[in-house]
Amino acid sequence: MSSRRSRISEEEINELISKLQSLVPESRRRGSNRASATKLLKETCNYIKSLQREVDDLSDRLSDLMAGMDNNSAQADIIRSLLSS
Amino acid sequence: MEAESSTSNQQRKRKRSASESSEKPAQSTWRTDKEHRLYSSKLLEALRRVRSGSGSSSPRTDPPRSRAVREAADRALAISARGRTRWSRAILSSRSIKLKSNRIRVPCPARPKRTELERIQSAADQEKKKSVVLQSKAKVLGRLVPGCKKLSFPTLLEEASDYIKALEMQVKAMSALTEILSMIGGGTEGAPGMVQDAGAGTSTGTDSMPPPA
Repeated sequence: MSSRRSRISEEEINELISKLQSLVPESRRRGSNRASATKLLKETCNYIKSLQREVDDLSDRLSDLMAGMDNNSAQADIIRSLLSS
Repeated sequence: MEAESSTSNQQRKRKRSASESSEKPAQSTWRTDKEHRLYSSKLLEALRRVRSGSGSSSPRTDPPRSRAVREAADRALAISARGRTRWSRAILSSRSIKLKSNRIRVPCPARPKRTELERIQSAADQEKKKSVVLQSKAKVLGRLVPGCKKLSFPTLLEEASDYIKALEMQVKAMSALTEILSMIGGGTEGAPGMVQDAGAGTSTGTDSMPPPA
C-alpha cells in the first residue's frame, strides 16, 4: 500500500503546520496542535489578507506623503533629499 | 488591533528568532536587521523611481501612484528574496511581462498535488471530511500567495510561511518609512494610527531604518 509514503507526507505536513502556527498570531496555543489544521489554514489566510491590506494602506499613505513633497517648503526639501540621497 | 498584535508579534519574534536561528537558518530569514536594512534601501530606491517617473503632473490622483508604490514595494520585496521562493519569482515575472498577460503561471507540478492529497485521504478515512475542507482552505491560501495556485500541500505551506515573514518585514519597513516621512512632513497625514505611538515608539520604529544619509 501507499501508506508508508503518505505517512511521511503527513509528518512533513504536521511539521509545516506547526511552523505556520508559530507564525500566525492568535494561533499559538500550545495544546491544540493537531486538531485545528483547518482553523490554522483559515487563520493563515486571514492573516495574509490583513498583511496585504496593511501594505496597501501603507502604500496609499506613502503616495500621499510623496505627493506632499511636490510643494515648496523646507520640509519637502528634507524629504526630497532623503529620497534622492 | 491588527497593528498592535503585529508589532508585539514582531517584538516577540525577535527574541524567538535569536534562539531559533541556531537550529534552523531558515527561521531567521526576513527577521535580521541586515535584511531589514537591505529591503529599506531597495524600497527607497524604488520609491525614488516612482517619484521621478510620475513627475508632478498629477498631484492628487493617488490611485495610480499608490498602486505604483505598492508594486514597487512588492517588487523590492521579491528581489530581496533572491530567487529562493516561488512567490517572489512569480511577483518578478508577472511585473516584467505585464503587458502580455496579467498572471504568469509559474510551472508547478499540478498532478502530484492531487495524488498526494488522494493518498492522504485514503490513509486516514476518519479525517476524510476534514481533508476535504482542508483542500478548499488550501486552495484559498494558494490564491493568496502569488504564484502558488497549483502547488503540493507541503510546498504551499512552506511558501506561505516564507511569504508571511516577508510581508511582516515589508509592513515594518513601510510603517517606519511612513512614520518618518509624516513626522518630517509636519503631519499632513496626522499621526500614523497603524504604527506605534509616535512618542513612545520612535525608538522601535527608527532603529531598524538606515540613517538618512
